[in-house]
Order: sequence, then C-alpha cells, then structure tokens
Amino acid sequence: MDYLNSNAAPVREERLKTNIAFGGTAGELLECARSGCFGADGCLNQARRTFSQTIGCQFTLSLAVLYTMRKAVFVIHAPIGCGSQSVGSVGITQTLHKLRDERAEPLVWLSTNLDEADVITGGERKLRETVLFADAEFRPEAIIVCNTCVPSLIGDDLENIVNDLQTQVSATVVPVYCEGFKTKVMATAYDAIYHGVLKKYVRDPDRDKKLYESDLEKARREYLISRNVNILNVSSMSRADELEIQRLLTAIGLNVQFLPCYSEPEDFQYALESSLNVAICGTHDDYFVKHMQEKYGIPFIIDTIPIGRKNTARWLLKIAEHFELVDEARALIAYEDKLLDKALEPFRAELAEKTVFLGGGEVRVVGTAEIIQDLGMKIAGMKPHHFDEFIEPIFDVLEDIDGVPVDVATNQPFEQANLIRRIKPDLILSHTGGNNITAKYGVPILPIFGVSYNYMGYSGVYEVARRISRLLKNYQFNKRLSKNAPLPFKESWYEQDPFTYIAEI
Amino acid sequence: MSKFVDRPRYSCAMGGALGVLRAINRAIPILHTSAGCGSNLFGGMNNGSAYIGGGYCGGLALPSTNVIERDIVFGGDEHLREQIKTTLEVMDGDLYVVLTGCMVEMIGDDVDAVCSEYADADVPLIAVHTPSFQGDSLDGYDTLLSAFAKKLVPRGQETIPATVNILGIIPGQDVFWEGNLKELKRLLALIGVRANTLFGEGETIADIRRSGSAALNVVVSDTYGVRTAQEYEELHGIPFITTGLPIGITDTETFLCAVAAALGIAPEVVTQALAPERRTYYAYIERLADLYNDVDLQRYAIIVGDANYVPPISKFVADELGWIPRLAVITDQIKDDDVKDNLLARFRDYESAVAPDVRFNTDASSIKHYIAELFPQNHNDRYTDLYNQVVVIGSSIERGIADEYGYPLLTATFPVTNRLVFGRAYAGLNGALTLVEDLISAVISGR
Repeated sequence: MDYLNSNAAPVREERLKTNIAFGGTAGELLECARSGCFGADGCLNQARRTFSQTIGCQFTLSLAVLYTMRKAVFVIHAPIGCGSQSVGSVGITQTLHKLRDERAEPLVWLSTNLDEADVITGGERKLRETVLFADAEFRPEAIIVCNTCVPSLIGDDLENIVNDLQTQVSATVVPVYCEGFKTKVMATAYDAIYHGVLKKYVRDPDRDKKLYESDLEKARREYLISRNVNILNVSSMSRADELEIQRLLTAIGLNVQFLPCYSEPEDFQYALESSLNVAICGTHDDYFVKHMQEKYGIPFIIDTIPIGRKNTARWLLKIAEHFELVDEARALIAYEDKLLDKALEPFRAELAEKTVFLGGGEVRVVGTAEIIQDLGMKIAGMKPHHFDEFIEPIFDVLEDIDGVPVDVATNQPFEQANLIRRIKPDLILSHTGGNNITAKYGVPILPIFGVSYNYMGYSGVYEVARRISRLLKNYQFNKRLSKNAPLPFKESWYEQDPFTYIAEI
Repeated sequence: MSKFVDRPRYSCAMGGALGVLRAINRAIPILHTSAGCGSNLFGGMNNGSAYIGGGYCGGLALPSTNVIERDIVFGGDEHLREQIKTTLEVMDGDLYVVLTGCMVEMIGDDVDAVCSEYADADVPLIAVHTPSFQGDSLDGYDTLLSAFAKKLVPRGQETIPATVNILGIIPGQDVFWEGNLKELKRLLALIGVRANTLFGEGETIADIRRSGSAALNVVVSDTYGVRTAQEYEELHGIPFITTGLPIGITDTETFLCAVAAALGIAPEVVTQALAPERRTYYAYIERLADLYNDVDLQRYAIIVGDANYVPPISKFVADELGWIPRLAVITDQIKDDDVKDNLLARFRDYESAVAPDVRFNTDASSIKHYIAELFPQNHNDRYTDLYNQVVVIGSSIERGIADEYGYPLLTATFPVTNRLVFGRAYAGLNGALTLVEDLISAVISGR
C-alpha cells in the first residue's frame, strides 16, 4: 500500500468496499461477504437508504480522534459551524490529557470562519492568517489543518498553502483532508488522519549520534528495539484499557508504546524504533500499519480486538508468536483465565439467558458480543456502523450466531426502534449519541465504550460483567422515560419491515 | 469582512435554527446537507447547552439527506424530494422544516420549489435557507423565526390588548433559555401582560401561529431577535421595543416600566406589582448579609460571553452584589457599529460607578492579553495591589484561564459543559437570586 504521493487518502467505499446499509442475519451477511457481494460490482457495495437520519462525517470523526493528540492546535478550514461539536470537548479533553501529562494545555481549535465573500474569492488569505496566528499565539509543536466541504468545493489549494506556510512557522503544519461530503463511511477519517501523520510526524528520531558505541551498548540498543512494540490505540479507549493491555504485554517481556491517541508528535519518531505495529482495531489502523511496513519495513498484526477473553487470548498469542514468546503467553492466558472464571461465577448465574442487543462500531459490536456469550447471555441483534473485511475474523469466537439479526447502519435510530420492538432485548449496549431515542425503549443501557471505563483485556470482561449486573438491578430511569416520553416514529412504521428503506443505487 | 475565530462559541445558521426547532414540541427538522452537519451541530449544542439533549427528534434522530459528492455533481433536488416523502412516512410531527446546508446552497438546489409541492399538505412543511457561510447560530435564530413570521404565522390576526411576544432568547445558546422565558412571563403577568414565549414550558406550535395577534414584541436583546421583530412589524403590524436581558431588581423594574410604557400601562402598576416581589427578593439577599461581611466576599469579576449576558451580569454584580467588574469581553461577531454602541451604553450610569473595561473580541486567547493589560502585574515589588480576589464568569472555555490564574469560575455563558441545567433562570428576580447562589457557591466551594 502506498497512497502517500497523493494529497489525500482514498475513500473507503473505494479502497475497502465498505458497506453501510444491510439488513438480514449474521449468517446471510457473512455468506454475502464470502461470495463477493462487497466487491466492486457486488450488490452491497453501493447500497443506500431512501430515508436517512444524520450521521457523523469523516471530519467530525477526525476531530474526535485528533483532539486526543497532545501539543497540537487545530485549524478548521471551514465556515463557522463546522466543528462546533468542539465545545463539547473542551472540558473532557483537558481532563483526559492530564491523565498522561499533568501540565497539558487546554484544547485549542480555530475556525477560519469562511463567509460568503470567501466562497467567491477563496479562503486562502484567512487560512494563512489563522495558521500564522496559531503559531505565534500558542507556540504548538504542530498545527493540524482540517480541510472541509466548502474550501474543497471552491478549490482552495490546501497542499500548496500548507507547504508555503511551513517555511514561515515553527510548528509542523499537518494537512488532514477530511471533507465530509466525500464519503458516507465515517471511518475514512482514520485514513485521513494517518495520511497526514505519516507524511509529517513520522521520521527518524532526532538523536545525537554517538561517536563510539561499545558492543555492549549496541547489543543493548538493538535488544531493546527487538522488544519494543507499538500498540495502535483508539480514541474510544480509556486509560484503564491501556494499563490492562500494557500489563499483559509487559508480563511476557515486551515494552509498549501507545499511538496515536494521547501521544505527542515526537512519539511518532520513536515509533520507528520498534519491531512490530499491532492494531487494537483493524477498522482504525490498517492504513497506518501497512504504510509503516511499506515505507519503514516494520511488520504489523491486524487481527481481532482484545475485548473478551478469547479475543484477548488470540490477540496476545499472535503478538507472542511474532516475538517467539508463545509459551510465556500461554502460561499467562491460563493463569488469567483461571482467576477470571472464578470471579465471573456469580455473574454467570445471575445473567444467564438474558438477551442483549449491541450497536456501535463494527469491531466493538462483534468483539463485545464475545463477553456477552461468555457470561451466558444471548445475542439478540447487532447493529454495526458499517461492514468490511476487518470484522470477519472476530466472528470466529462467537457461537450459534448465524440466525442473529444484523442491521448495518451508521446510527439510523428509526431502524433500530423497529428492530427493538420486535426483539425486545433485556439489555442494550449502545453507542454514544442516539440515547435520547434508545433510552425510551425502557431497557437498561450499557455504553459500548467509555473513555473512563475498562472494557479491554481480562479486567475489562470483569468490569463489563459487574456493570451489567448493576444496571439490571435498577433501570427505573429508562423505564419511567418509556412511559412518559414518546418516540418520534409513526405507529405505521413499526408495521413495516425494518429494512424497507434500504435500496441499491 | 469577517476574520478567523479562536474557539468560537456559536455554530452556524443551521445550528441556531436547530436550537429553536429543538425547543418546539413535535417539530421535525429535515436537513438537506452534507453528512456530518446534524451530528456535529447537535454534538455541540447538547454538550454546550448544559445538556439540552436530543429530545423528541434531535440528536442522531434528525432526518438528513447526508448528501455526498454524487449529489453535488448531479444536484440534490431528487434526493430531497425522496427524503421529504419518506420522512413524512416515518416521522410523527406537527411541523416539518427543511434546513439547507452550505453544499446544497453552493450548487443551487431549488429547495423552495421542492417544498412548495407540499403547500397543501395537512401538516405544514416549510423551507428555510441556513448556510453557514451566511451567518452564525445567533443569526440562524432570526433566520428561522423570520421565516416563521412569513410562512407559518397567518396574516391579519386581530390584535389582543396587553399581550406580547418575547424574542431574543436563543434556545441552547442561552443555557438558561427555558427558565429565563418562564421568569419573564411570570414578571409580565404581574403587571397584567400575557406573554407568548413561542416555545418553552407548555407552548406549542399553536402559540407560534397566534403570535401575529400580539400588541407588542419585546426583544430582550440588543441584537438577537431584532430582525425577527422587524419582520413582524412589516408583515403583522406589531411594533417592538428592545430592552436587554433584565437581571436583578433594578433591571427588572426598568424592563417592566419599558413594556408598560409601550402598552400604555401606568407606571404605578409596576411599582405596586414589584412591592411584594422586592420584599421576597431582599428577604433572600438578607441571608447573605452575614457570610458576605463575615469573610469579605467582595470580588473583582471578569465576564466573558455573548451580547445578551455580559452587560446585565456586569451591571448586576456591580450595582447589586457590590463586586468590581474589571473586564467584560463580548465574544459575538458584531458587524454593526450601532449595535456595539447600544451594548456599550448598557455599561454607563452604574449606580456603583465601577463599570468595567469593555472589549469586543471573538477570540478566547484575547482574555489573557486583556488581563495582562488591565491587571497589575507582579514585578517583585515589596508592595503591589494585585487583583488576586477575582471570579471569572464565562463559559467552559474559560476553564483554561481560571486554572492558570487560580480564579474560581462560574460557567454561565455558552458553552457550559460542567453543569446540568433544566429550568432554572438567571434573568429577572428569581434568576438573579439563582445567580447569586451560584456565584457565592463558586467562591466558597472550599468551605
């Protein structure tokens, strides 16, 4: 893979044939995927909806990820409304940054505030003023410039402007091409960010070369690199998740560095002094790790996500194989399994046979389903944001899944409402954002991710189990809501097939 | 000519319009715009408004065409036509409002023509143009309400004496919008005036429709709502007054007198109505007499935020709470010099004679520069009159400044992300008491 000669990463509809609209069962979906329905001419590649509700775009998701990155300020090249979601990140971002650096600066974003005159004459002048101001006022290590719909349509030459500005400012200027109207697959955002990062952040570390290095020092340096592993984290992870992953990998003798979230520009230089890149989530990271292999010769692993014990074990063993530490990993897994099994006993008895609906990012949905089955609960339905090749290996650890209803939909609460009325689950694992609707089903809700809770590794299984147990003890809040706050869908909608509005182009 | 904005406290015209629609029971927005707009705007609005939430049909439930490159190339009219038809099939509402985003406006989709096909539908459906490059969310409030005045409010309604519409409070952008509207309505009722707030507790679309019968529009802002009031004046013959957002007993009296004068109500009615209110108000304020004077609770204040809040909060803390407002920064993009003059006039004639320096600046980073300019700095002299007893009244964006200087912060202006606000007010009398509770609580949180 090498797209770095282009200004922007390709969209995922093209690169990965990602699907965002499918209704059926898990068995049908997997069968479809294996028989090529997602291929260039496949029936599912171009599926769409004739009724749709709002979705995030690759720009809004880009911001969510970019705001985790430290020592940078962010320039939004757009009219004033784009990125207004940032006001919701002010407090929480600083809190989360401070978990990694006590002296973390507050989040700073600037809008170039394009107006009607700029739409006619171009936004170049404002972009220049903004970047120069950001450099002088905040003295950041990096200025990350997000390109959006309007400047893209009016034809601002971002690449040229950025290259020119780079000669005038001390910060590293990173363009991120994430125009919302280019794609319906939000996850293209990850490629857009990594594209900029690969071009501007990743380079050999600026170290003083020693004039003389003894054999012992050289062996020590090389040994360390041979034990270093980069773990590609995701913005939906918590610090507790990181600590659990780090605990497991340290236990088998590896040194862990987390990228890209909560890292600073320099960390991407040290990322080259590592012998393996490991994705936590393929949906996030394939663009980065494949380029790192192509360009810097660092191998990578994309497999499952370390959510649930079987997935975690599989993920650990893949890494251990690379470092020839399989025996150590097996010993660790056996030990962890034993402790966890004992701890889960009371929850298994309590939760058996409860039915669960899961919605959210594709990899999290299928990954977290393993915890649900491990606890003896039943998967009643799944609603992944999209569907592509990265989800398939994660199905391996699930049992008896073929008949489970699957709705591939980025949000679309109307489809979910219809499905939920049919399925009547005991519990919903839900993505942030649509819970003004989901709460009104009167069912307890566990967020499918949370930046202050642990979901990953062995401790994550236990945390999810005890939180579910707690939620099921009392869900009066949602129950009361369901009786007193109506949903916005017509009664006739519930009589329709939930996938009525999915169509081919 | 506008400039870039460092950490804007407002979104686009569509965001302002969405705030209003969020406040109207059973109104269904239909966004004709790129993927991302609805999700982004609601993300900002929900978090920044101290958690207004998606409600009935907001958040990710918003119907949206999510146009992509193909629509931009071939035009999005057909796509919109299809989306309107299916929205009417699925979503249960009493009013449908199509809002347009930048991209469809740039390529010139004929949204009005598509929507005119529904002119005779049972449930009203109207189109409002809300591209971001034509205005921010403060403008969007007026863009939407002007469109209502034109397309939703029937003309030729008979004027009902002693009734007014209240304009100038932007739902969501004003974190205390619902409580403020409720309090202003209560105060006006004291002098026999029935207020239509268009939306709020109990108001419905029927109230918006009958707003053409008001005898007067009361715009409680020097900027927001003025354009709408002009539209009402032209189309429905309703005169208007602008009063600013009243906070505290002095402001409330001035506010009620202004409304009374415009409606021909005798000033004694206001005096009589306020007498028992004043007793109650000071009975609460009296509670603070001990603490305030026991531990010297006078503070310097820095006030940062929008044009509605900064002037009355500054005046209130100076003239009623006895504090010293030192710096007031109004962060709106104000292009009109007359509006600036009107706002500056609200900082004159303080009874306390301690009016602050007033600055107009959209940028969050400007506050630090003003502090360096206006506040005595420590140059290692043995004696320096440093302003170390300072309270910041601003938004969650001011957390950075507050942390850096060690000043307590009360979040009162958008965005407010560290509090949950339902129906409490900062306007009027009950609002002023709540403001005092919150200000003093911020100062004594260590007790």
